[in-house]
Amino acid sequence: MSEVTSPAVAGPAAGTVLDRPVMSVDDVSVGFGPKTVLNGIGLPIERGSITALIGPTGCGKSTLLRSLNRMNDKIRGYWRRGRIELEGQDVADSSTDLLSLRRRVGMVFQRPNPFPMSIRDNVVAGVRAHGMASRSELTDVAERYLKEVSLWGAVADRLGDSPFRLSGGQQQLLCLARSLAVEPDVLLLDEPTSSLDPVTTEIVEDLLRNLVPDVTIVIVTHNLAQAKRVSNTTAFLYNGHLVEAGETSQIFDNPEQPETVSYIGGRIG
Amino acid sequence: MAIATARSSAGNQARTRRRRTKNVFLWGACGLALVLLVVPVVWIIGGVLANSLPHWHWNVLTTDQQGNGGGLLNAIQGTFLITALVLVVAGVVGIAGGLYLAEFCPPERGQLLRGASEVLSGVPSIVLGYVGYIALVAGVFHWGFSLAAAVIVLSVLVIPYITKTTEVAIRNVPTAYREGGEALGMRSGYMLRRLVLKPALPGIVTGLIVAAAIAVGETAPLLYTAGYSGNGPTFSLTHSPLGYLTYAVFTFYNQPSNSAHQLANSAALILILLVVLLIVVARVVVSFTQRYSPDRQVRVPRARRAR
Repeated sequence: MSEVTSPAVAGPAAGTVLDRPVMSVDDVSVGFGPKTVLNGIGLPIERGSITALIGPTGCGKSTLLRSLNRMNDKIRGYWRRGRIELEGQDVADSSTDLLSLRRRVGMVFQRPNPFPMSIRDNVVAGVRAHGMASRSELTDVAERYLKEVSLWGAVADRLGDSPFRLSGGQQQLLCLARSLAVEPDVLLLDEPTSSLDPVTTEIVEDLLRNLVPDVTIVIVTHNLAQAKRVSNTTAFLYNGHLVEAGETSQIFDNPEQPETVSYIGGRIG
Repeated sequence: MAIATARSSAGNQARTRRRRTKNVFLWGACGLALVLLVVPVVWIIGGVLANSLPHWHWNVLTTDQQGNGGGLLNAIQGTFLITALVLVVAGVVGIAGGLYLAEFCPPERGQLLRGASEVLSGVPSIVLGYVGYIALVAGVFHWGFSLAAAVIVLSVLVIPYITKTTEVAIRNVPTAYREGGEALGMRSGYMLRRLVLKPALPGIVTGLIVAAAIAVGETAPLLYTAGYSGNGPTFSLTHSPLGYLTYAVFTFYNQPSNSAHQLANSAALILILLVVLLIVVARVVVSFTQRYSPDRQVRVPRARRAR
């Protein structure tokens, strides 16, 4: 069922390390207890690209996304088959350090979730937790990433303020800054703009375009226009199956599978 | 069409009347409840103030009891000492227990432990006192009336409160904080401290305050365990009875002499002030640590910001 644009796992002959997908999902099935949510998903995530996961509610997009940095691990009954690799190493290997996996594969959620600490401390929360900067550098780090997400102008004179006095959109930008501050290789976004106004949505989308190719982005979105606008690769999931994946233009202009045609045409979902 | 409209508007009027009546009734009930709550409080505080202030001498704070007169220094010191140690012992055990129940405990075992804790909180304090007397003071340990016996029994009495409030406070911390922390790859201990315990602090502190208020106000278990002494506490854990304020209220009020009555009234005043003080301190602590909380409405003063 799955249709992908490049070989799922690169062998030694496939070129240099940098040509390999940064992450790859290979024949992955996921479920909770007796329920299977994802069925045999195979999807390479190309380095420096933006991959959009689309599909109707309940099709398993978020479950797939959350499997990539093992956010489902603690949910009761969670199981996974197949391989999910980051730089050729399975994310669930005993030799994989969960904390550094999550530092390298960051995540931003649907609803902004700033921490109950000052704006500055929010940005550097992860930097502090991983000891990535000395105490005296923290304010500079905060400034750099607040500038990166275009929030600096709005908060420069109130870094000590509570983040909950910011608007929802500003809070989401703050969460993006927090995720970027730990210098992830991959950033997972779970409908990051679904609670935002159009202007902030545009800021976020511009930001995503600017982040690649340094950061690889996987974004779950219900907004097909957004997927079309920002992503290089689009993967369409339906009922736990990967129906079709490929270049975004091809998926939207020239889909091969009838389900994709229906979904993009607005007939399902 | 016209008929239907007329009928429904008549129905609407009747509904509106019913709603108004209900509204007046419920507001009345709320008002009554408020009165029932406020009147006894005002009555108690007013009564204590009226009885104690006219005879108030500052030297009750600085002199020990002498016979039926003198001061309350011994009792004040005893109450402070007992309460402080109860907060340490019960605070550590209770907070650890609440943390365990909220974070680490398998659900089935949690139900069992929670049930046991509720049973313990339902045991009358005088029964706990008696058990303490048998086990610690007289029977098994032979500690005599002592600080250690009093602290242990009062701790057992308040641990369920602290555990309960701690557990509830931790469970009320939004999971979004935890998810955010996990997604950044924070260590679980680090996350617990920064993102779970800190937002839960108001609830935990509230539990501690309730515990302290109980420890300050309990009488029955102390009669069995601390005994009483007219001299200041010796700071030895065993074999040394010590005084406390509730004993002064209880005993001196039943004495025939005027000076004893005055001591009882002064002790009551000090007890009330202590509880008020505890509440104020707790509020200050909570409002300082929660200055970044999402439901905090008041703006932080300029001077403390931007650092």
